[in-house]
Amino acid sequence: MSNKGAGSKENGIEVEGLVREFKNGPRAVDGIDLVVEPGEIYGFLGPNGAGKSTTVHMLTTLLPPTAGSARVAGLDVATQGPQVREVIGAALQEAALDPHLTAREHMKLQTSLHGMDRAERHQRGEELIERVGLTEAAERRVGDFSGGMKRRLDLALALVHRPRVLFLDEPTTGLDPQSRASLWSEVTRLSSEDGVTVFLTTQYLEEADQLANRVGIIDDGRIAAEGTPAELKAAIGRPSVEVTPSDGARIADAQGILADFGAPVPASGETIGIRLNAGIDGLVGIVRAFDTADIELASLVLNEPTLDDVFLAKTGHHLEGASESESAEMPLPETQNSRA
Amino acid sequence: MIRPYFSSAWAVAWRYLHNLYTKPAVFIPSLLFPLFFLAAFAGGLSVVGKAPGFGYYDFTAFQFCFVLIQASTLAGVFAGFSIAADFEQGMGRRMMLATIHRSSIVVGFAIGAASRLLLTWVVVTGVALLGGMSVAGSGINLAGMFSLALLGNIAALLFSAGIALRFRSLQAGPLMQMPVFIILFLAPVYVPQNLLTGWIEPAASVNPVTALLNAARSLMAGEPTGLLAAYGVAAGMILVMAVWAIKGLRSAETAG
Repeated sequence: MSNKGAGSKENGIEVEGLVREFKNGPRAVDGIDLVVEPGEIYGFLGPNGAGKSTTVHMLTTLLPPTAGSARVAGLDVATQGPQVREVIGAALQEAALDPHLTAREHMKLQTSLHGMDRAERHQRGEELIERVGLTEAAERRVGDFSGGMKRRLDLALALVHRPRVLFLDEPTTGLDPQSRASLWSEVTRLSSEDGVTVFLTTQYLEEADQLANRVGIIDDGRIAAEGTPAELKAAIGRPSVEVTPSDGARIADAQGILADFGAPVPASGETIGIRLNAGIDGLVGIVRAFDTADIELASLVLNEPTLDDVFLAKTGHHLEGASESESAEMPLPETQNSRA
Repeated sequence: MIRPYFSSAWAVAWRYLHNLYTKPAVFIPSLLFPLFFLAAFAGGLSVVGKAPGFGYYDFTAFQFCFVLIQASTLAGVFAGFSIAADFEQGMGRRMMLATIHRSSIVVGFAIGAASRLLLTWVVVTGVALLGGMSVAGSGINLAGMFSLALLGNIAALLFSAGIALRFRSLQAGPLMQMPVFIILFLAPVYVPQNLLTGWIEPAASVNPVTALLNAARSLMAGEPTGLLAAYGVAAGMILVMAVWAIKGLRSAETAG
């Protein structure tokens, strides 16, 4: 079933001033506003405890908001819970699966819980088991599944009733790269081919960057920034470049060359860094200048602004786990490495 | 609306029964429990049946009625344990997300608990008959007796569900089991109500289980008495406990 072109806000999400307070605790969600367009993948990026899961729980009717309003597929989550549940699917942070049931039995359970027609249950279950690559494991108890298999089954279960809006709460946490890529591919397909609106929470920068059409950065219960990954990165500045001369004695010469291309940025040891005045286009000029000056470089690293830079700029601190640099290290070709 | 509602309820019941019967470690002890009581009471205390004024036709049948009510109510409590475990382990959230009308979760567990009773009844009744129990009541009388046990099961399930949904943890198990256990043993368990003396006599006279038990014993004996009161008490308990369970469900919804 394709929801593409469903039009208006029928598949979208609209949130206004959403608040959730817990007893004896701070505001987990502190007045957020956001709009997710139909068919869009919206990445909700933030560290642990930022309010991502609480937001998802409110949008999926698992938790009533303390204040504010939220409409999912045009339906009010506070007053139209049963109708909302008919049109949404959700795979929450911890895949809630019964270790004693097989994948096929889970499908039977889930299709029945959704009240699907008996005739359709088996066919839909088999279709989804195949789509997530669990056909061979369909008769195995889920207690024996790997983390990746459980996630895939959880995603399949969230799709049994053909939801128009899909909520994925940290769907790839703890997955190996292969399982993660497989899940990304399926999420992308759901959005592009089936027109499903996807609300995806994550603490992985790369995930938000790769998957999301738009990203909302949440910190301390508030949305700190929102936009496409490119817009967010562009808004905080130009890329930087770091070079390390092979000969430490030529650092001053290298600094002199780089000064023509941008303002210095902090770097460590024998590495020199600048923020590129002309953006990434300045890189070619730098390589040529070093080549002309006969300065050999041990390394040249281009640092594109990352979502962590955006996070840092907007919140004043780094996203947990963002230490894995997303910078694009460019190993120089042999000729440039030896010559430049 | 009705078909999806019962589809959800049946799904919950199916999983409950599936997990029960595929886990002997859970199921067998719960089946042995009433058999132990039957053996202990009917066998070990059979001399009580000869006490002056006892006035019941068969001591084993007298105790069987209690064990039947006890096994049925405790089956409801055990289903409450399963609800708590599901919410503790995350399956409760799956059910809350997938069911359009969430009261179908409680109805599903009620169907499961009632279905579970069938085997318990067959085993306990079979063992009692093998042990020499004589049945004086007619088929209709016995159907009435089993229906009272079923109503007790539903009331206990709703009570336990209310606790389970409020606490959403197996640690609430004693809160489900103890009150039911106490109320069961404050009924005339070993002797007819008219032979009770001391503090237990007034306690038993206001205990709703007493009405159920007396009616069940009268049906077993083929001399039905107090049926209106018994069914009225059972209906009242179910009504009160249904409100309790639904409020528990709202509590679980509010807590997320």
